[in-house]
Amino acid sequence: MIFTKLKSTEEFKTVANGLWRDHPIFSMVLGICTALAVSNKVDNAIAMSAGTTFVLVATAVIISLLRKLIPTRVRIITFMIVIASFVIIVDKVLEAFFPGISEALGPYIGLIITNCIIMGRAEAFYIQNNVHLSILDALANGLGYTYTLVSIAIIREALGFGTILGIRVMPAWWTNWVIMAMAPGAFFILSVFIWLSRTLAKIET
Amino acid sequence: MKDKIRMILFILILGSLLTSVLLFVDSYASPIIKRNNILKIKKSILTALEIPYNSKDITDVFSNNIKIVNKKNKTFYISKTGDVSFKMSGPGVWGPIESAIALKPDLKTIKSITIIHQEETPGLGSRITGKKFLDEFKNKVITPEIRIVRAGQAKGNNEVDAITGATLSSKAFEALINNQIKLYLPLIKGGKK
Repeated sequence: MIFTKLKSTEEFKTVANGLWRDHPIFSMVLGICTALAVSNKVDNAIAMSAGTTFVLVATAVIISLLRKLIPTRVRIITFMIVIASFVIIVDKVLEAFFPGISEALGPYIGLIITNCIIMGRAEAFYIQNNVHLSILDALANGLGYTYTLVSIAIIREALGFGTILGIRVMPAWWTNWVIMAMAPGAFFILSVFIWLSRTLAKIET
Repeated sequence: MKDKIRMILFILILGSLLTSVLLFVDSYASPIIKRNNILKIKKSILTALEIPYNSKDITDVFSNNIKIVNKKNKTFYISKTGDVSFKMSGPGVWGPIESAIALKPDLKTIKSITIIHQEETPGLGSRITGKKFLDEFKNKVITPEIRIVRAGQAKGNNEVDAITGATLSSKAFEALINNQIKLYLPLIKGGKK
């Protein structure tokens, strides 16, 4: 009873959409570039997801607060400068306080700017909704992106390096599948992932 | 007309606001980043020379154990045991690679190599920073030159296994080592006589 009530609230719908129904990667097929590039090791995937989620939430707050002020014709430029500013902040903060992660991710932090999930959510959601729904949407999408990236990374790191988070998980006789660590491995795993989840979610193309 | 003015004003104000935020963040972070980089170079040189340190006393250990010698704008770091270290830099696959090498007093054998900075593909080329790869260089001889060969085929005492799946980064690193050794070695040899 409580669940059905909960199910019809805006908040629940927003979260469910981000995590499953309109999942950024397999339903909207956005953010593929980074999902392919940074999913070969779990620690990289976690750092990338955290960075993207932070920028997503920050953008959600700014855009939804300004949504009544932003002139329609310049909204895309507005999104761009807001997103770019936050990405530069993430980059600087990581470089100053977490030099290890900053080095591991290198050029990929800058790539958050081009992550279409952020642009897509800003255009589709934050420009039309209030702050707390937007934050929920940002968190849900960020989490959706995170669990996809991390689960792909777990498979790729285990098969390609024999480790998870740098800890050996495969038996000693295991031969690393080098292809899993390289770009083709990402395409295989990501497409299997999209196929499985779309079948489970019954998404028609 | 009114709309256009509003548009321009909005972008101008938002732009300047965000720019000032960025300036603030940068002025706050830049000195820390600069300090991190200096520490990192010192740390890499100490690691290459295999001088033990802990993260708190890097600066002290560095100034107590290392003699800095400048020759023709090149800096050499010489340890008390006579090992010679210098920085090497060159192009990688995506961006510059910066590394530190330490040679034993005979100036032929590598003591060890460390990476200071690299922008190789995360998870692939970035494994040049891995202990397994860098440890291979220990006790290798730099004459006639270092060769990075297909993984599992290194036999000679100047040969090192490449990283599987990161051939380009391995090749770039090989070129970097040989070029920089050619550049630095004559200087330090001349100085020792």
